[in-house]
Amino acid sequence: MRALVIDDSRAMRRIVTGILEGLGYEVQQAGDGREGLDVLDTGWIPDLVCVDWNMPVMDGLQFVSAVRSNPAWRSVTIMMVTSESEHTQIVRALAAGAHEYVIKPFTADAIRDKLALLGLLPEEAVL
Amino acid sequence: MTEFDTRFEDTGERRRTSDAPLSIHDLLDGETVQSIAQEAWSALVGDDEFLVPLPGGLPDDALSSWVEIVGPWTGTVVLTCGRSTAEALSRALLKEHAPPVLEVEDIEDALGELANVVGGNVKAVLPGPSVLGLPEVGSAPTAGSPADTCRVDLLWRGESLTISVQGAAGALTDPHENNQNEVPL
Amino acid sequence: MTLTATSFDWVRALVHKESAIVLQPGKEYLVEARLLPIARQMGITDVSQFVESVRSRPDTDSTRRIVEALTTNETSWFRDGDPFTALTSTVMPALLAARGPNERLQIWSAACSSGQEPYTIAMLLEDSLPNAASRVTITATDLSREMVERTKAGRFSQLEVNRGLPAPMLVRHFTRAGNEWEVAPTLRRMVQASECNLAAPLPRMGPFDVVYLRNVLIYFDLPTKQAILRRVRDLMRPDGWLFLGAAETTLGVDDSWERVVVGRSSAYRPLKGA
Repeated sequence: MRALVIDDSRAMRRIVTGILEGLGYEVQQAGDGREGLDVLDTGWIPDLVCVDWNMPVMDGLQFVSAVRSNPAWRSVTIMMVTSESEHTQIVRALAAGAHEYVIKPFTADAIRDKLALLGLLPEEAVL
Repeated sequence: MTEFDTRFEDTGERRRTSDAPLSIHDLLDGETVQSIAQEAWSALVGDDEFLVPLPGGLPDDALSSWVEIVGPWTGTVVLTCGRSTAEALSRALLKEHAPPVLEVEDIEDALGELANVVGGNVKAVLPGPSVLGLPEVGSAPTAGSPADTCRVDLLWRGESLTISVQGAAGALTDPHENNQNEVPL
Repeated sequence: MTLTATSFDWVRALVHKESAIVLQPGKEYLVEARLLPIARQMGITDVSQFVESVRSRPDTDSTRRIVEALTTNETSWFRDGDPFTALTSTVMPALLAARGPNERLQIWSAACSSGQEPYTIAMLLEDSLPNAASRVTITATDLSREMVERTKAGRFSQLEVNRGLPAPMLVRHFTRAGNEWEVAPTLRRMVQASECNLAAPLPRMGPFDVVYLRNVLIYFDLPTKQAILRRVRDLMRPDGWLFLGAAETTLGVDDSWERVVVGRSSAYRPLKGA
């Protein structure tokens, strides 16, 4: 399975990438929403995108809307991973087309639990 | 999957009867800031990492990271610690994902991300809607006025670390202006 | 400083006596990790030293905190979602067909921890079977007084709502309360929480139509497992349903249950005449 991790913090990209690789994912990274769309434009279509909200150039909410407006990317599951944690913000992200929402700070278990909910936990990773 | 109703939608807004500017002391206390920071530390730094509320001295080379919150209350959430503490924090945050050599950018990025995580959760406690800025890193910004600053002094692994939620009014005041709201330190 | 053998053995004996839970040798790390926060709160940085101070002068408050720290678990909401899916897809429709239109239904969450399981059940019922939800009472019990209080409060930290709670359910059923999240009052009214030690004679409760007893039996020795299953059975309706944890079974423990497959999960039902 493939995942795209989009976050402007390289520390956060490394942490999320490490968790997903540990679960058996093949991961690519991007530093903002625009770079994320560039990865998708190459034809490398991930099963999962973990995307931050507040980023320079293109934020996570704009990225979610852009992905949802392109039918070719309909199969992509989007999970926001962000410190934006107000009720209204989560509602906005879901309305824009995100499937799941992880609030920073999170543990590796939180990511794994959410992937289990989404049916995106590689079989061999079930503990 | 994205269909849901919003019957219980929470705008997070709290109305005040007067138009007086909101002071941070009306909105959150040090205990809340500490518990937000402790959750961030437990989840991201390590589940056995504790922030102890004890004042210590910050070294001269202290590094700060901060995020701005703009909304009914406007100000910054500032995290400050010594450079060696910032480096230890970055290593703890990255764990086995840390590169062999931590560059300055890695340390600044990690400290900035911690400010973002703490700031985002502080924002959620404040009345909304508010906007969270991108993290910045550097020497500590000017301290806010005590009347609109909630500061917690903590120890992490015995080293000093402070978190300050400070109103923009104090921090951004031009010293040449008439500082009628400034409380002398 | 690592935990001494004497300290570990004393903690093991204490936990077994108070909760009947068996701590296997090799679980020293668990004792250290769980007791360190309590020791630190008391100003002691060394777990062995903390245990020795309680051992030399035991007081009920400290011993209760030790037992609670070792017998409670961080819980996820839907990590193992199959027993919940089975409730709305199979179990509730069968019960609603079998009961009178005004009869109340009783569900027991027998080790409710901080409330994730009873509120998961409440949310599912309200979302999937809104007309039936008003007829259901969820009894939530736990060994730990602190956990019972937390269940009653219905408040969860950011880290807790991150653990396997689907985001659409979070926004539908919770509001922010400071830096925590609070479950909706309608769901809190469905859940009644109280203290209950499964390893001791049970209070008068029930009779229950459905019992969730997940990840509890794994902690007990065989005679205690048998005693618990017998007591639970006594509080269940004859056509009730029991859900155990994925790693647990009545097979080889108590032969008065019939195992039935419900969707991707297994349930246990009292055998008639057993």
